Amino acid sequence: MILKESTIKEIKTRMERYPSRRSAILPALTAAYRQVGHLDNAVYKEISRVIEIPYVEIAEAATFYTMFPKHEVGKYLIQVCHNISCSLRGADNMLIYMQEKLGIKMGETTDDNLFTLISVECLGGCSAAPMMQINQDYYEDLSREKIDTIFADLRAKAEEEGK
Amino acid sequence: MQGRNGLPVCVKNMSDNGKEKEQVTLTIDGKEISVDKGTTVLDAATLMGIHIPTFCWHPKLDSIGACRMCLVDVEKFPKPAVACATEAMPGMIVRTDTDEIVKARRGVLEFMLLNHPLDCPTCDKGGECDLQDNVFHYGIDKSRQAFTRRRVIDDQTTDAFDDKRIGPEIIRNMNRCVTCYKCIRFNKEIAGEYDLGAYERGNHTVIDAAPGEQIDNFYSGNVVEICPVGALTNTDWRYKIRNWKAKQTLSLCSHDADGQNIMLWHDQRQLWRATSRRNDDIDDGWICNIARYGYQYINSPDRLKTPLIKKEGKQVPASWDEAISLISKRFKEIKDSKGSVCLAGLIGGNQSVETAYLFNKFFRNKLHTNNLDYRLEYIDLKGSDETEAYNCLYRAPFTIADLEQADVVFVFGSNFIKDHPAINLRLRKAYRKFGTKVYTANPVETKSADISLDEMIYSPDTETAFIAGLIHAIIDNKYYKNIDETKAAEVKTMLAPATLDEAARLCGIEQERIVNLAKVLSEANNPYILAGDYFVASAKRHRTANGMYDLANLLGIKDSNAIILASQANSMGADRVGVRPRLTENLKKTLIDKWGEELPESPGSNTSQILNNSLDEEIDGLFILGANPAMRYPDGPFVNSALDKLDFLVVADLFETATSAKADVVLPLAGWAEQSGAYVNVEGRYQKFEKAQDADKGIKSGIEIIHSIARAMDLSLNLDNAALMHETKDIVDAFEREARDEAKFFEVKQAQIPEHDNYPYRLLVGNDIHHFGYVTEHCPSLMRFTPEPYLEISPNLAEKLGIDEETLVRIESTTGKLVLKARFSEYFEGDVLFIPNNFSATEVTGLVSREGGGWVKIEKLDDK
Amino acid sequence: MEQVFLKYIDDPNQHKIDTYIEHGGYQAIQKVFKEYQPTEVIDTVKASGVRGRGGAGFPAGLKWSFVPQNTGKPIYLACNGDESEPGTCKDRVIMENNPHLIIEGIMICCYAINAHHAFIYIRGEFAHPAARVEAAINEAYAKGYLGKNIFGTGFDLDIIVHTGGGAYICGEETSLLSSIEGSRGNARIRPPFPAVEGLYKCPTVINNVETLSSLPSIFNNGVEWYRSHGTEKSPGTKIFSLSGNVNKPGNYEVDLGTPLSYVINDLGGGIQNGHKLKAIIPGGSSTPLLMPDQIDTPLDYEAVAEAGSMLGSGAIIVIDERSCMVWVLMKLINFYAHESCGRCTPCREGTAWLKQLINRIENGDGQPGDIELILDVCDNIMGRTICPLGDAAVMPVRSFIQHFRDEFEYHIEHKKCKVETDYPFV
Ligand SMILES: Cc1cc2nc3c(=O)[nH]c(=O)nc-3n(C[C@H](O)[C@H](O)[C@H](O)COP(=O)(O)O)c2cc1C
Ligand code: SF4
Ligand code: FES
Repeated sequence: MILKESTIKEIKTRMERYPSRRSAILPALTAAYRQVGHLDNAVYKEISRVIEIPYVEIAEAATFYTMFPKHEVGKYLIQVCHNISCSLRGADNMLIYMQEKLGIKMGETTDDNLFTLISVECLGGCSAAPMMQINQDYYEDLSREKIDTIFADLRAKAEEEGK
Repeated sequence: MQGRNGLPVCVKNMSDNGKEKEQVTLTIDGKEISVDKGTTVLDAATLMGIHIPTFCWHPKLDSIGACRMCLVDVEKFPKPAVACATEAMPGMIVRTDTDEIVKARRGVLEFMLLNHPLDCPTCDKGGECDLQDNVFHYGIDKSRQAFTRRRVIDDQTTDAFDDKRIGPEIIRNMNRCVTCYKCIRFNKEIAGEYDLGAYERGNHTVIDAAPGEQIDNFYSGNVVEICPVGALTNTDWRYKIRNWKAKQTLSLCSHDADGQNIMLWHDQRQLWRATSRRNDDIDDGWICNIARYGYQYINSPDRLKTPLIKKEGKQVPASWDEAISLISKRFKEIKDSKGSVCLAGLIGGNQSVETAYLFNKFFRNKLHTNNLDYRLEYIDLKGSDETEAYNCLYRAPFTIADLEQADVVFVFGSNFIKDHPAINLRLRKAYRKFGTKVYTANPVETKSADISLDEMIYSPDTETAFIAGLIHAIIDNKYYKNIDETKAAEVKTMLAPATLDEAARLCGIEQERIVNLAKVLSEANNPYILAGDYFVASAKRHRTANGMYDLANLLGIKDSNAIILASQANSMGADRVGVRPRLTENLKKTLIDKWGEELPESPGSNTSQILNNSLDEEIDGLFILGANPAMRYPDGPFVNSALDKLDFLVVADLFETATSAKADVVLPLAGWAEQSGAYVNVEGRYQKFEKAQDADKGIKSGIEIIHSIARAMDLSLNLDNAALMHETKDIVDAFEREARDEAKFFEVKQAQIPEHDNYPYRLLVGNDIHHFGYVTEHCPSLMRFTPEPYLEISPNLAEKLGIDEETLVRIESTTGKLVLKARFSEYFEGDVLFIPNNFSATEVTGLVSREGGGWVKIEKLDDK
Repeated sequence: MEQVFLKYIDDPNQHKIDTYIEHGGYQAIQKVFKEYQPTEVIDTVKASGVRGRGGAGFPAGLKWSFVPQNTGKPIYLACNGDESEPGTCKDRVIMENNPHLIIEGIMICCYAINAHHAFIYIRGEFAHPAARVEAAINEAYAKGYLGKNIFGTGFDLDIIVHTGGGAYICGEETSLLSSIEGSRGNARIRPPFPAVEGLYKCPTVINNVETLSSLPSIFNNGVEWYRSHGTEKSPGTKIFSLSGNVNKPGNYEVDLGTPLSYVINDLGGGIQNGHKLKAIIPGGSSTPLLMPDQIDTPLDYEAVAEAGSMLGSGAIIVIDERSCMVWVLMKLINFYAHESCGRCTPCREGTAWLKQLINRIENGDGQPGDIELILDVCDNIMGRTICPLGDAAVMPVRSFIQHFRDEFEYHIEHKKCKVETDYPFV
């Protein structure tokens, strides 16, 4: 089993609140993503078993949504908004800076498996552009300085956790 | 209610039934039309002969308005509307031909062509492609698209044309897909299957099998047929012949009893494919894979092409003359020396009704014997020729399409999808569209569980106890109609087990569930009870049939609504024209009228008695036409010794079989597609099929064979084909069943359940989902779905015994043993096993006793 | 200016139930339970004239009155917090800082339409706002404000937070329903309209977060008070998300009908670093451009429509002189092509084709005739799709070409930008 007891429990608890167990597909995908870090066929199979909805329906729903990576990513998934409001405030140049800073290109993961960098559409942080999301957290009103600090903090945190 | 996919299912509103539909009048392209309320603009236009092009619409699927090809202009609507999903409204003014609409359609076509490869000359769909036709019609010649076309390839795409196999029979070319979702909608909506899906989104949407799996469901061929373009094609047909070069012949599925309508595509020398020939009374235009691919045995290289005669223990080729005169000589000898009662005839349930009738006439009227039967498939008839109750329910006047009006359907003893592909889909439709409630009771879990409100699994061999329990529940709770309390009390004394409690305990189903079913059935306005192959194959089916008869009487269920379903394409036909020892009074009269002669007086023997009698050397000459009891009848060793004992055995068949191996003369028999004729389906519906191709010179039809034997014996039947057709039809039409007597009740007594101490697991034997009878081994497409026999086992039991998938397992019963690979069942949960009996290499029937199915022990083989 | 949504926004505890109550929260719903029949609630909301804040501006009370009350089926409310239209980030502020306001609004609506089950659909990326809302709901349950027999009235109500998975289309009402049902977020054809056959085939009302959050103020202060804000046809206040090239981007709540210039210059501190204004997107990325000379347009549904655009979700995106408009449009069309659900042909194929065409112009590969081709493709999408996403993609394309055709032509002819966009990142 990939899914932990606690994840399965969360899925089931949520499922029971809906009038139809099928509605638990998205909550299940979310819970699984938060635990595993990405989604794939094996995860769909397990979800299918937990909520008793055909496997194909899980796969169909999951691949419709772009928020869940469908293969392994680094510990920190950096999603940078490249839509209009952020672009008007330098998101393109920010992306170049971040690639230099991390030493990777868009879509890649750093060698230490810490950071994966991708760009995404509008995240709803337009009035605080440019912005990005790292895992669940939003980072807004970004500047070079802020980015340096954020990356450093995350690295330190990872090291801490690694101990 | 929640379906298997968790989506809500509609709730039945019976009050709408039978109401006169309100009419609405609208104007389309300047002409007025009145239609039923609820009709779409598209259907209204079609009624007027106005063609509106479509891609995603299908008459039998819910409209999703996705392709936008059917846009029409509706006055007062702010923008064009989709005709396929817009309901006709009073006073609506619709135009289908404005400049704006033409531009819109051209726009849609241009969009579809953006990424569509221009490979019509090499695409198998060319000539029958909706996209090609529409592009031609709307005259789109020059492309404004200058970008590289999108190609969908993944690691399993092997072919240069980006083809990918997504199922045993299905090739997908995503580049050609117009994303109409018809394939997926059919799969989920109609078939309730979940092996095909749409993934990703937007312009990247792809259609594919469930990740890592195959689309191999029993109805999967339909997705190819409804794909409007060449995105889905099947290996059966593709690249073999261009569609416009093939001829089409009206035909029927030659296997199960539903009578699915098919079109055979051929060039007179060879059959190339079968497609559906929509018949809304039966199949709604959907056919199962057996109907679709099950024609292929006709063109098998293994076909018998010359008669064989046994000489010095070996069958050697012979001429037809030699064979026929030998048969005539030997039959005459037996008849003259030992009497007609020592001759017998057995005919397969998928011979045409004309063949069956002629067979009957030859045996009864010319050879003067009543020893004949058509029931040769995994049911042992024992002493009886069925009972009054059984026969009455078996011949009930059932109509498939009426199931849509059912509010409750109780399916009793049937793996429905397998036994009755068309009825199964009709039931699913009733469930999905009209809110029909379905209940099932079976010896094992089945696929129908997904639409069943309660799937009850009874212990093996306790069918009778189950139905007795149901009757107890009805009487105890006063759910009965039409009888008084005294009568009810009397009926109760005719039941064993004597109480609901005992009955429930014996069959292993909680009382409350039985009572609930009784209640639901009693409260229904239009309930059905349908019994299928598990019911039929159970040894004590007569007792259970008695119970079903009583149940129908207690609840006042209509004659047409309580039925034991026939199994083979022409089982009903053979029954109606009298291929069985005992006849109804009415049929006797009809035959005497026709033949101008009394019928032979001897009581006659059915299959079981014929085999027994040959074992006892009371039957010496047997003619088996198109049947293979050595492989299909229970207790293989018994059948084999019976056949060995015969003085003279003639077998006519398409292939060499376990039965033909025992024959003194083997005759190559024509298949159904090589002759014209008719079948009578499970409803008693007489349906014709046409000859599609000529048989090989060395092959003769059953009718020709019977005629030539008769002629050689100087017993000419004097019936040319036209007259035969007529006479057969007359007999079928004149058939009158004995109606149910509402005041009559039979005893319902559970029989002793046989001891099986050392054999703990119940074995079920029957058709594999993708096979039927003994000929589908010769259909390459079906062999791609299930290439070899297996032992199907529940994952629970497998785990208990340390058996993995693909492990070799020894299966042993009191009568035989077998080694097979294990396969986990998607549905089974308990200690029940299944082995298909469609493969000549395994003698499965050797494991099955005639007393009550098979009880076996199994053991994992150490070395794989 | 008086505020409804953002009044206590600076109180760090406003998201907590006690603070919310301290600030007068949950008064309106109690009043409603005590003093109003459900139909009276609908009538009051109708009279208030409050219009949908999700984009279309449809009168909320009227929408509720479409719900059939006699079908025997349950009725559902779906509160739309998908907030995915580029430029829009207003609902998030309410969800994060004032979640009880939404809950109270939902309660009022559910009472009015007789729903006992409400869903708040929140875009999946908003993990924190969703957590805030969920925490608030739990607080409300704990206090007996939700669940069975709330406030002892005999009225039951459950609220479920349903988070999305990254799909703009799920903000569209029928896709939102598909998504809650667990399906792919595909749009569905109408009719049947959700009010008649929505979630689980039952009657369903869909309202935006901000729309529902307006309700408590109407019942607390009265219809007249509500109508004293905004204009005759566009009453009330609204949050505008100001983003792009202004000095002080942010969410500002003002009366409807407030001049655009007030928001940009007075609240937003004017154009970034004193640059020149080039164009304004007034109502979210799909709305047509307003030009600098239209900066005084009042921000209400009618006035913005008259000016040739739409108030939409109230996301004002300011573009200054440093932008190449081909580049800006490319950003937008890439978004719409990415977000098309793929259900219907014109949107699925059309947006992807527009993306290819506009990108090739931006990349210097534009061909003569591309502009005409683009406009024709727009014609073939507009009004022909299942849901309005197709229109949403086409409107900016048409508007950009209408106002800045010269930049597109220049791009095609010279294979480069007339204005080299290069927003610095510091
Ligand atoms: C493509 C598309 C995206 C939409 N996204 C949102 C959204 O993110 N949030 C929202 O409230 N409404 C959105 N809408 C509008 C909704 O369909 C719906 O009209 C609205 O939620 C109704 O609520 P209201 O009447 O309170 O505005 C969107 C519409 C379309 C066509
Ligand atoms: S594969 Fe064929 S049937 Fe399926 S969506 Fe594509 S075009 Fe339609
Ligand atoms: S046929 Fe009507 S939209 Fe496809």
